[in-house]
Amino acid sequence: MMHHDSLMNAKIGDKLPVFVFGPVSRGVLALYAGASGDHNLIHIDSDYAKNAGLPDVFAQGMLSFGVLAQVATRWAGIEHLRAFGARFVSITQVHDLITCTGEIIERMDVAGETQVRVALTATAQDGRQTLTGEAIVALR
Amino acid sequence: MDYCIAVNSVEERNRTMSRQATSVNPKGIFDRSTKGRTLRPITVTVERARIQFFSQVLQEPDPLHHDIATARARGFADIVAPPSFYTAIDATVNEERRRLGQVSVAALIKCDFQRLLHGDEKYEFSGLIFAGDQVTLTTTIVDFYDKKGGALEFVTLASVLEHVTRGVLVRATRNLLHRLD
Repeated sequence: MMHHDSLMNAKIGDKLPVFVFGPVSRGVLALYAGASGDHNLIHIDSDYAKNAGLPDVFAQGMLSFGVLAQVATRWAGIEHLRAFGARFVSITQVHDLITCTGEIIERMDVAGETQVRVALTATAQDGRQTLTGEAIVALR
Repeated sequence: MDYCIAVNSVEERNRTMSRQATSVNPKGIFDRSTKGRTLRPITVTVERARIQFFSQVLQEPDPLHHDIATARARGFADIVAPPSFYTAIDATVNEERRRLGQVSVAALIKCDFQRLLHGDEKYEFSGLIFAGDQVTLTTTIVDFYDKKGGALEFVTLASVLEHVTRGVLVRATRNLLHRLD
């Protein structure tokens, strides 16, 4: 986590440290199902997934979502996170390696504090974007 | 597969809702008659072990999410839930609904889990969530809409997570969709 003095120097165009997660194993999908309470069998039971016409199980979107959020929180700390959101633009498959990146795209003063808007992207090992998102981080 | 969607604000959708009748998709699965309904608020306790397990699976590096001594040293009463832990609280609330003999959101809107995908998820944070917190979740079924000529149908859910004394902690918006082709 960054010291707050260095956080205040954050400027548009700065790239945040990259966070790589995975490859996402079937075991991680099962553990995330238990941890998150999302028990949808499409993520953990390949028979169920094949019955639904899919080649295999695929990752819970919220698993990647939680991983992507860490680009912001590993950099600034959770106390500084004001908003976070992401779109699921393609399916994260089992065995995908997820690389999460962030870049500061705006700096603004809101409600008595200086904040930055961070553009976030999760990408699989073949270059396929899986999530695009944004975080609002307070710098003070 | 392309199921990108435009992210509209809840307010924008509410304005649209007031002008339009509920849309009809002959292939649709969602029960669109539930549009506009707010489910009865449900209060649950945030469990410390659940935060620790969730943080471990996500490889959260900050000991604030699993170590009480670290949390206390940083001025907090207990460990802190990671940003996406909201989704575990939402699931706990739906389990509690089933125990109380009420229907879950998924059952109410008639999600078909073999066709269900997640479109997007957004949180605005007003406060941290701590282990031991009693939190109340209120969820509204905001709207149903179609894309790709009816090959995809969407639902927008908006929720508010509140603590009895600290007030609103998270405002969440979630779009789910069915593949209908």
